[in-house]
Formats: sequence, structure tokens, C-alpha cells
Amino acid sequence: MAAPATPSAPSGLSLNRIIAWLAAAFLLLPILVVIPISLTPERYLSLPKTSISFRHYGSLVTDGRWSKSILDSLVVGIGATVLATVLGVAFAVGAWRLGAPLARRLRLLLLAPIIVPPIVHAVAFYRAWAALGLLDTYLGLILIHAMKGLPFVVLTVAGALANVDPRLEQAARSLGATPRQAMGWVVLPQIRAGIVAGAAFAFITSWDETIVALFVTSRAVTTLPRRIWEGLADNIDPAIAALGTVMIVLTFAVVAISTLRSASAKA
Amino acid sequence: MKDSLVLDKVEKRYGDFIALEPTDLTIKAGEFITLLGPSGSGKTTILMSIAGFVSPSGGRLLLDGRDVTALSPERRNFGVVFQGYALFPHLSVYDNVAFPLRARGITGDAARPKILAALAMAKLQAFAHRYPRQLSGGQQQRVALARSLVFAPELLLLDEPLSALDKALRKEFQTEFRSIHREVGSTFIYVTHDQEEALTMSDRIVILDHGRILQIAPPAELYEKPATEFVAGFLGKSNFLRGKISATGGGQVEIEVPGFVTSADANGIAAQAGQAAVAALRPEKIRLTPPAVATTAAPCRVGGHVGDITYLGSSIEVEIRLAGGETLLATVPAGQRGFTAGEAIVASWAPDAAILVRGDEASS
Repeated sequence: MAAPATPSAPSGLSLNRIIAWLAAAFLLLPILVVIPISLTPERYLSLPKTSISFRHYGSLVTDGRWSKSILDSLVVGIGATVLATVLGVAFAVGAWRLGAPLARRLRLLLLAPIIVPPIVHAVAFYRAWAALGLLDTYLGLILIHAMKGLPFVVLTVAGALANVDPRLEQAARSLGATPRQAMGWVVLPQIRAGIVAGAAFAFITSWDETIVALFVTSRAVTTLPRRIWEGLADNIDPAIAALGTVMIVLTFAVVAISTLRSASAKA
Repeated sequence: MKDSLVLDKVEKRYGDFIALEPTDLTIKAGEFITLLGPSGSGKTTILMSIAGFVSPSGGRLLLDGRDVTALSPERRNFGVVFQGYALFPHLSVYDNVAFPLRARGITGDAARPKILAALAMAKLQAFAHRYPRQLSGGQQQRVALARSLVFAPELLLLDEPLSALDKALRKEFQTEFRSIHREVGSTFIYVTHDQEEALTMSDRIVILDHGRILQIAPPAELYEKPATEFVAGFLGKSNFLRGKISATGGGQVEIEVPGFVTSADANGIAAQAGQAAVAALRPEKIRLTPPAVATTAAPCRVGGHVGDITYLGSSIEVEIRLAGGETLLATVPAGQRGFTAGEAIVASWAPDAAILVRGDEASS
């Protein structure tokens, strides 16, 4: 049988492949450049010339300012994630159960933190938190980051709920489950993936958030982005590159593990 | 039989829309009762009110004399089989069936024999460790049934459970529902729009239309003595003979239909001469004879010509065109004699074959 005329099979150097690799390089190389910089033996940002050194990795642990800000970011991030996830799941499930037009409109309102420019939030929270005495406190920053993470939780959980048959909850109730048991035993297990994804987004949002943190914190709370910002402002410390490398490795590890796990779950 | 569940003027409105008019219904303990009606007739509203998912706008729901109108669904202890089954996709068949026991605090070894018995009753032993998505529609139906019976509810509510299955499976389940009903002895309340399911399984059928109960009766009575024109037309096929009542007496009426006169069973309706009336006549009660041999003695007879002939396998459906342009539908056993379109024919029936029914306008 004659093979139908098809475009030539992708060869080693087809134009498509070249473009694909160029795009990948454009996305990845700027990130990877921090790896050699982090290994410089010098005390300023530079590529290592004669030798490499791990001293900047050491300073992440030994330098109290770095370790404190890693800890601060973790505290704020976890606090904000827990708060955003609990509130977001509660809202999404409530809106799903009501199914009312009002719930849909409220969901739009909840997306506001994504739409409003961060600098507007920053100014607004600076004024409000000053009045409430929440400036430069963990609680103050956790509240703000929770609000910024909330839309992501609501979006992912609402997406997961769209595939859940509302009769499952009725079935659970008819079989003797209280509303709380129906929620915990039937509805939440269906949307676990959505909740985990939403929580991850919320954590990343907090971990990454710089602008509002710059406005509402100073010494008591110094999250990583703030610390990096300060590090760049007063002296260009290669520890930033070391930190970047650690974060790249961690991200890669998390993505690899979750990919492998979902692949084995499908098998 | 003692009364199990009583609906006392239960009604449901959504704004101006009336889903269910004030409805009285008494369900006996252990009976298989079917709510039959077209979509929008209020049958699912009744079922969901009983289940506790629809709160009535008025009226009371009494279980053994106890008012349960305000009781939450999980405290009513009724099994519900939902349309589309509503199995828990993240739980195995075994855990789905274990769910109602778990909700009642029965777990592990205490629950095991009950779960295995329910699985055995539904013929699911081989599938205990599968997940719902790995099962066929019929098997999912069995899981839904086992799950809603494992806690031995007094009442099992079934909401169009067979609507997603093919005809052969539906037949199989009709027999099985009956035998399971006999086995467990609970009250079954079954909702369907399928008249065949209703006729084959029920002790009693409740016919609904537009949020209103039209008739409650055992299947045979419902078929033989339909109360209204809608019931006669919805359950099986019927000819409707419309005319004026010319005489009454002895449980019979005489109706002057344009072109002929027929007797009809008065069907408990207090009719008076001169009134407009409708009688339902089942097609299989009509005898067809050629004019030459037709006995003029038959009290109810009308001449006509054969119209369309439909072969149905075991029977033939013959359309008879009457002189006035009306048509009658007759069903005769196949293989007795042939009919040709256009031939002259006499249709006759017994004096009590036609049944006086209430017109749909009159009953509202």
C-alpha cells in the first residue's frame, strides 16, 4: 500500500525543532545563569573564573538574616495558605451548593485581588494596617497574602466542583450521613486535587509577593523577597544566586515528584 | 396492612409555579407503590419531599403517625436510589455499600456480614473491590440498590432507576425489583414515566398529571377502569367515544355518539341523561366482523371501512374509518384472518367494554 503523502518526518534539524529549542532556551537560560553565579568565590555577583566555592550556600544557613527571612516566608506562606484554603474551599462549596446567580456574582468579586494592581493594594493596606496597628506583624502580612491567594483557591476548587454530581451529597444524606459527614466523606474527596492545586497557588503567591510586603513590613517581618530586595539594594550578594539555585532545585524536585506520582496513579 | 406513610395535604410551590397541588396519599407498610406520570407531573416532587430534599410549602408528612415533615434527610432512615445512581466514585463497591453503616457508626467486623449479605442479594460478590467507573450500567444499578438496602430501611424510594438502561436490562430489573421487594419486605415507592414498569411491578399505581393525583388503584383496575380520559390515554391505548348520555341505570349508561349508540360502564360516575360524556374503549375489546356475518343483535356496533393496518407480531392493529370521518383503533390477534385496506367491516363490543371516564377539563 502506498503511503499517503505526509510532511517529511521530523528530522534532527527541522525548522520546528529549532524554534522549539530556541523558545525553551529563551525560557530557561536566564534562570539557569544563577547556578554558575552562585558558585563564585568572590563577594560580588560574578561568574567563577579560576575556582568555584560553596561559601554563599553556607551563608544562607549561617547568616542569620537569610535564615530568618526564609523562616519568615515559610511562616507567612503557610499561614496565608491555610487561611486562603479554608476560606476559599468554604466559599466555593457554598456557592456550588446554592447554585444561585448571587453566588456567581460573588465569585467575580472574589477575583478582584487578581485584577487590582498590587501597588494599589500596597498603598491601601499601608494606610489601613497603620490605623489597625498591623504594620510589620506576621498577622498583618498573613491576612494580606491570604486575600491574594484566595482567588486561586476559589478558581481551582470551583473548577473541580463543576465535575461533581450534586446528587452525591443528597445520596450521602439519604444514607444517613450528617451534612458534615457528607462534606468530609463524599464532597471533599472528589475535589482534593483542586484543593491541593489551589493551596499550592496560594503558597506560591505568598512566597513570591514583594510589593505589598515592601510597604507593610520592615524589621520584625522580613520575607525572602524583601530580603533579596534589600540584599540587591545595599550590596550585590551572590547569596541571592545561591538562594535562587536552591529554589530552582526545590521546584524541579516538587514538579518531578508530582509528575511521577500522577503518572503512576494513572497506570 | 398498617399505614406506613401518610401525605396530608402536602404541596409545593416555586413562586407562582405549582409543582404539587395539596396532595393526600396513604402508603401502606410493605407495599410496592408506583408514582406514574409524564415529566412535570409532580411525581419526583412527591418522592423528594418524602426523602427530605424538598421541603413542602404546606401540609404534613406522617410516618407511623409521627410528623416527620421537618426531619432532615439523614434522620428519616429511608433508602433512596437516585436517577443516575449517584455512586461515590472514590469508593469501591464494598465501601459504597458500607457507607450507610459507617454513617451509623457500624464499621469493621460488625458491618461485614451485612455488607456481604447486601452484595449477595444484588449479585455483586464478584465486584466488591471494583470502583463504580469499572462497572456497567446494570452493575452500577445493583450497587445503588445494595447500598440503599444494607441498613434495612423501612422505606425505599426509587427515582426512575431504570431510565438509563436498555430494554432487556429494564425487563430483567423489573422482575428483580419485585423479588427483592418480597425478600426484604420494606415499602417501595417507585417513580417512573414508563407505564410498563408501573404495570408489571406495582401493588398500586398513583397516576399524576400537572401536580395532581388523578387516580390511585392496582394496575388491573387502573387499566380496566380508568377514572379520567388522561389515565385511559396514558396507560395503554384507548379509543374515546364522545357524545351525549341518552339513558342511565343499573351501573350502565347509554351514549349517543354521532353515527351510533354505545353502552358504557358508568364507572361510578353519577351521570345524567343529556350530559356530554366520554367513554374509553380499549382497542383489544373491539371485535371485527365482515358485514355479511355480523349479528345485528350486538348492542354496540358501528360499520366502517378498514384503513391503515399495522402488524405488531402477535397482534394486528386495524384502523377503522367511520362514516363521520372519525376513526377507531382495534387490536386483533394476528393469524386469524387478513384485512385489506378499504374493505367494509363492522366493529362491535360488549356492553360493558366501554368505560365512562371524566373528561380532563371536568376533573380540574
